[in-house]
Amino acid sequence: MSESNRLMVWRFSLIFGAFVLTEASVRLGWISSFFLAAPSRAATVLWSELWNGKALLLTAITLYEIAAALTISTLFGLLAGFLLWRYRLIGTSYEMPLAALFSSPVILAYPVFLVTFGRSSAAVIALSSIFGLIPTIINTKSAFQNVNPILLEVGASMNLSGKQMFRHLMLPAVAPTIFGGFRLALTYILKSVLGLEYVAQVGGVGMWLSDAAFRFEVEEVYAGLGGTILLSILFLYLINRAQTLMRR
Amino acid sequence: MATAHSGKAAIGAHMQTPAAVQMLTLLGLIAVWESIGRTEILFPDLFPSLAAILESLWICLTTPVLLPHLKASLYEVGGALLLASLSGIPLGILWGSRRSWLEVVEPLILYAAVVPKIVIFPIFILFLGIDVHSKLAVGAFAAFFPISLLTIAGMREVKPVYVDVARSVGASAFQIATRVYLPAIAGQIFTGVRIGLGAAVTGALLAETKIAKAGLGFMIVEYYGQFRIADMYSLLLFIFILAALVNWGMKTLFSLMTPPSRTNQDAALFF
Repeated sequence: MSESNRLMVWRFSLIFGAFVLTEASVRLGWISSFFLAAPSRAATVLWSELWNGKALLLTAITLYEIAAALTISTLFGLLAGFLLWRYRLIGTSYEMPLAALFSSPVILAYPVFLVTFGRSSAAVIALSSIFGLIPTIINTKSAFQNVNPILLEVGASMNLSGKQMFRHLMLPAVAPTIFGGFRLALTYILKSVLGLEYVAQVGGVGMWLSDAAFRFEVEEVYAGLGGTILLSILFLYLINRAQTLMRR
Repeated sequence: MATAHSGKAAIGAHMQTPAAVQMLTLLGLIAVWESIGRTEILFPDLFPSLAAILESLWICLTTPVLLPHLKASLYEVGGALLLASLSGIPLGILWGSRRSWLEVVEPLILYAAVVPKIVIFPIFILFLGIDVHSKLAVGAFAAFFPISLLTIAGMREVKPVYVDVARSVGASAFQIATRVYLPAIAGQIFTGVRIGLGAAVTGALLAETKIAKAGLGFMIVEYYGQFRIADMYSLLLFIFILAALVNWGMKTLFSLMTPPSRTNQDAALFF
């Protein structure tokens, strides 16, 4: 067995062991089923909600919000990052406030967005875009800033025009760093969308979880939580795969 | 004439500094905010005057209205950070000390770190109720990941020769952890704790906005429900300033305690 397969077996054994222990705890009455749902019951609820219930529609809403926030943050982030690099004084001036804004608990301002956009997906998209926007801006600026000057000198010695230089030298050079920002942005947007849906009780999967908790449907709470975790893991896996493919 | 010219040039040069641009931007934003608020061309009532926000902030700070809520939030965030540090640092050292364990566990932690922590809140409510302890648990859960992952990152940088030397003089596992690993990874741990603080604040206060009896997050939602927008903004301003001050204080304290090369400034972007 190869090293990576061996590690995978260990990881799945750990997860499977945790599930078995939880299942046994509930079935043998060590933990009341009022607090903890047996994983098999939660999985059954999730499965039936996926095929017969509303889970697919809610997942589609969540995916739409993520896609919209990502599109907005990518478009504005790339443009802003490029401008901040192009105009150095403005770039230097705004970099620190942007980083400070990013590390502050901006998400607590979600009621402002609910007042502005109403209790709808638009509020979730608008606030989540901010979480994607800042890493995209910072990474885009840093990508252009760190282009190897030798590349540009080579381009100039070959009499490349400004457009050719940008298309054939700068774009390939900045792409990996910008993709790093895109990866961060997607991670933050995912967290923000699911979190806001739960807190503000709007939109997709997060709202389902909140609804189930409100009705004290314990098995549905765990099913919703499982769905949220699976969606997050799937996204991270796809992002990591895309990054690996890009490095090749 | 020459003096006037050099004076203008000096002012021009002074205006072309980052601090001047930041100041001008701030003034511009205030002017835009005030003009939207006064003309009511966009979202009436959503842009209260700055004077009203500052007045509300002053009332908040000088009357006992805020105190019980501030106490509840500080208890939750402080407790969360303590709990996350007490679990995240030893586990980070344990996982980081064995390469085989780390290879099994690290991807699982990285995947778990992406899940929005607030969604675990209903589970904590089931187990701990709607009092402060469920918010403390969310905050601790959120802070655990940056603290443990940065501890692991620090462990990776420890030179094996230090551990070999300690073992050769007969040091026990506990002595190696406290005398070799801890001093070597102090910078990473401090950064983890500082980032963990931000995660704990966000986790606990966001949970307060969902279901709570007290706390700053609870107050935000109360003001939102009563449409007291100026009060809501003043409270948000207070939270941002408080979070920035505590973050700055911790950063200064930790940078005094560790050499700059051992701190990881960019890590903040990843949590």
